[in-house]
Amino acid sequence: MRISDYLKKEFCIMDLKASTKEEAIRELAYVLKPSGKIKDSEDFIKHILEREALGSTGIGNRVAIPHSPSESVEGLVVAFGRSIRGIDFQSIDGEEVNFIFLMGTHPSDLNIYLKLLATLSKLLNDRLFREEFVRVDTPGGVIDLFKKHEEGIEAVKGGRTGA
Amino acid sequence: MAIRTIVVSVAGAPGSLITAKYAIYLAKILQVKLFAIYVLNEKVLNELLKSRIFVEVEAREYERDLEQQGRVFLERIKKMSESKGVECEGILLRGVVSDEVVNKTRELGADILVMGELKELKSRAEVFYEEGERIFHKSPCSVVVVKDPVAVENLYKEI
Repeated sequence: MRISDYLKKEFCIMDLKASTKEEAIRELAYVLKPSGKIKDSEDFIKHILEREALGSTGIGNRVAIPHSPSESVEGLVVAFGRSIRGIDFQSIDGEEVNFIFLMGTHPSDLNIYLKLLATLSKLLNDRLFREEFVRVDTPGGVIDLFKKHEEGIEAVKGGRTGA
Repeated sequence: MAIRTIVVSVAGAPGSLITAKYAIYLAKILQVKLFAIYVLNEKVLNELLKSRIFVEVEAREYERDLEQQGRVFLERIKKMSESKGVECEGILLRGVVSDEVVNKTRELGADILVMGELKELKSRAEVFYEEGERIFHKSPCSVVVVKDPVAVENLYKEI
């Protein structure tokens, strides 16, 4: 299973309107609504915000990955948002966030969810991926880039390339 | 040399039930004991902690949930086996999935390892790094890769 199996063009926002962390999470949660996989958006958002309260998912390099299991999600969902002006996510490096991946899963799909989170983490820690990623300007470009790099993601394990 | 022991590797996903059904079918017709192995993927949890996507308390919560899901899943397979008159023992392990499955299969002296269908590979690298592929290649015994869920369901109903 790959990120590109779940991240669809219609779940990518290349210019988020949000100016705060909560607004960004809301905007991305609602872009997933047409997927039919979110039974209760507000409940999903509540779980994501509760997780954020434990510690920011702003992992540095201008990236945040808010995530949480929720009974309100069917299967697994991924949305992407780019904030051109940047959002304060209380990231570990203190920098504002421009790239946000929102992920959710039904609690029964934890294994796949964890693997996808790990894949996303690996890619975003890969300097070569990041260099290409910041230049992508369209939802299709985002998907294509993931497809291209996920084909080789397993070779990235153990820091074999990038980062 | 007779076949005495079958091991089935399950991940807890719905597809794993089909894998388990085929293993139960084989164990029934060969009249041997079945061992079902579920591995709690500690590697991925540690990776997510290290990359700071997870905080400690969150990782421990996932660990508990995965362990609970594994136990429930193994219990389900045990009951399915018993309903078909097959002796089954569930084994829950922790660590790197492929290493744990291969090592336990060797330790049990299994004659057949049953596993789910391998995912479609999109690069040569995946042959070496995908967990299912590693189990397939490193298994100390013959491997049965389960396909065709409909056929499996029919076989399972027959026994």
